Amino acid sequence: MPDVLIADDSEFMRNLLREILEEDHTIVGEVENGVEAVEVYKEQTPDLVMMDIVMPIRDGIEATSEIKDSNPNANVIMCTSVGQEEKMKEAVKAGADGYITKPFQKPSVMEAIEDVVPS
Amino acid sequence: MKVYDGSQTESGEEAKPERLKVGIAEYEVTTDSAVLTTSGLGSCIGIALYDEPTGAAGLVHIMLPTAEDVEGGNRAKFADTGVTELVEALEAVGASAETMQAKIAGGSDMLDFSENGSSIGSRNLDQVRATLSEFDIPIAGEDVGGDHGRSLRLEADSGDLVVKSANTESVVL
Amino acid sequence: MNVDIQSLGTFNQLAHEGAKQATQSLAQMTGIDAVVDVTKITLLDRADIGEDLAGRDFVGVQFEYEGVLEGDTVLVFDAESADTIADALMAGASDDPGMAQSAVKEIGNIMMSGFIDGWADYLDSTIDHSPPEYIEKSGAAVLPEAPETGDHRQVFVFKSEIEWVGESVNFYIYMLPEYEPLAEAMVESVDTEGDAIPIDKLQTFNEMTTKGTQQAADNVEMMTGIPTEAEVTQISFAPIEDVPKQIGTDTYVGTVVEFTGVPSGYLMVLFDEVSAVNVAEAMMPVEMDGDGLDDQHKAAIEELGNIMTSGFVDGWANVLQTSVDHTPPKLVHDMGRAIVDPLAAQVGQHQEHAFIIDSKMQTDDIEFSAEIHALPNEQELRAALDDLDVDRADETEADVEQIFE
Repeated sequence: MPDVLIADDSEFMRNLLREILEEDHTIVGEVENGVEAVEVYKEQTPDLVMMDIVMPIRDGIEATSEIKDSNPNANVIMCTSVGQEEKMKEAVKAGADGYITKPFQKPSVMEAIEDVVPS
Repeated sequence: MKVYDGSQTESGEEAKPERLKVGIAEYEVTTDSAVLTTSGLGSCIGIALYDEPTGAAGLVHIMLPTAEDVEGGNRAKFADTGVTELVEALEAVGASAETMQAKIAGGSDMLDFSENGSSIGSRNLDQVRATLSEFDIPIAGEDVGGDHGRSLRLEADSGDLVVKSANTESVVL
Repeated sequence: MNVDIQSLGTFNQLAHEGAKQATQSLAQMTGIDAVVDVTKITLLDRADIGEDLAGRDFVGVQFEYEGVLEGDTVLVFDAESADTIADALMAGASDDPGMAQSAVKEIGNIMMSGFIDGWADYLDSTIDHSPPEYIEKSGAAVLPEAPETGDHRQVFVFKSEIEWVGESVNFYIYMLPEYEPLAEAMVESVDTEGDAIPIDKLQTFNEMTTKGTQQAADNVEMMTGIPTEAEVTQISFAPIEDVPKQIGTDTYVGTVVEFTGVPSGYLMVLFDEVSAVNVAEAMMPVEMDGDGLDDQHKAAIEELGNIMTSGFVDGWANVLQTSVDHTPPKLVHDMGRAIVDPLAAQVGQHQEHAFIIDSKMQTDDIEFSAEIHALPNEQELRAALDDLDVDRADETEADVEQIFE
């Protein structure tokens, strides 16, 4: 099963993602901000990071950029409530591989993951 | 003509004290035991002044630290000019700054997004203390800071200031 | 057409002074101790005028006015208090329905004359008004037909709320001026060019916000399964110290963020306590024990607030082809007015008046309603309006697929 790191400051959202993902994935960590996301990524090098954008300390776009700098093959899917075109472009520039907008349904999450990390 | 001022209410039969609402950036003064209320203090501060010898009392609801921040307008909006305005209004009805006591509440840090520098709540508080001390008016009680809102009721017959919060018990200062 | 902030401020002040004048007349005639609570100028869709009056019966007077300003105005109050008011004017008047009606009419006439005269004096002109017409209706129907606005889909409404001290009675004065004469009067009273707001773009901005509210409502529906309708979206203009009064003294639960970019400011998503519990439980997979609001409810509200906030501001960013960032949501659970107070204070450090953007949504299925209030900084709102390309107003949604191809 692929390893996944969940980065989201909302406990509610982490729970929701865990419930959706844990059947087919190993959750290697759940973190609440961009700094922790980078740290845990470097320790664990999971196959996939589900990354929120608006988080305290460091946002998800900066964190994605740093993860991609350290490992260009990292897979990062933005998972955010932000639906702004300029933000999406920033995410692409930072190296994001996919973009899911909240609120989401399970099928759209699975579909996005399948596109980025084919099983 | 009917005047709002409490001293002229012609109600002999009503035993209930008159209630005066004090809005944001407003003040009220009473010399006959009215109840002065103000609600929804977040970073705003309510300053109650009570002059025991004359029984005069007043309440002002200030919003920002100093009048320098914004040009012109309403003196009761700012801590420095608002306190001064209230002291002068009480003196105008016979009270003396030498015998006044202050009770203050509000100045919470809730919803402060400023990453550097101090919050409006604490800057308001600093200015209220500074202006009161310029008049040598002692602070007899306070319920300030924290991260919750407050509503106030000043009972002018006793000088009691009742502080209510949404999620906690009332405090009497 | 550009209207400067100062003239909006002046017109708001005029309405406020007029309402004070009217209230003083009332006090002189009846001994009723009343104060003007709020006066604001609101720009909103014609169909939404008077939404906040729904479900209550009113009596009052209506009349037309013409001259330098044209339109209709009403003074209304709760029907139950009509007798009390009639008796205050003339003892025993309430026993005779004809007399009661006449008393109400006379009070209304005198109050409203005071209201209108101030406007005429300020504008150095005359405003004539028709004899008062007694009205007795329910909800928004008590208000006159909004003026036909030609190209303008939205109308300006001047609204004052007058509170009868110690009683649960409120008076409302609504003034609905025709768009063109009002706009002309506003333009003529412009003192400075520097801080002008393009009024027509303000309408477009309001419509974009309506879509944002619908998006936020759709997000709620997706997360909770509760069918949710966007109700009203409006932009109001009021002195900064009146901003907290826009929200009640009841306890609310919700989230607050600061948003930065063009525009910038603060945004609140607020639920009353019952709605908060209902909506949070609808988001949870399992039934909750006990009642009241616990930490799990709060975590759910925090995330819902976050998602609603994005739904609301994303449309602005996409139309303006810019990005609007916001801080992570801060959860609040406090008296409504105390929540707004520090935000108004922060905005008030740089400006005397504020624009307030209000939206409401609700559902018929369960007891649920939510409010979104945004408090933009004036300077960035002006910049946003300057940048606004009216032809792009429909482009509120970003195309994820296209960007990630």
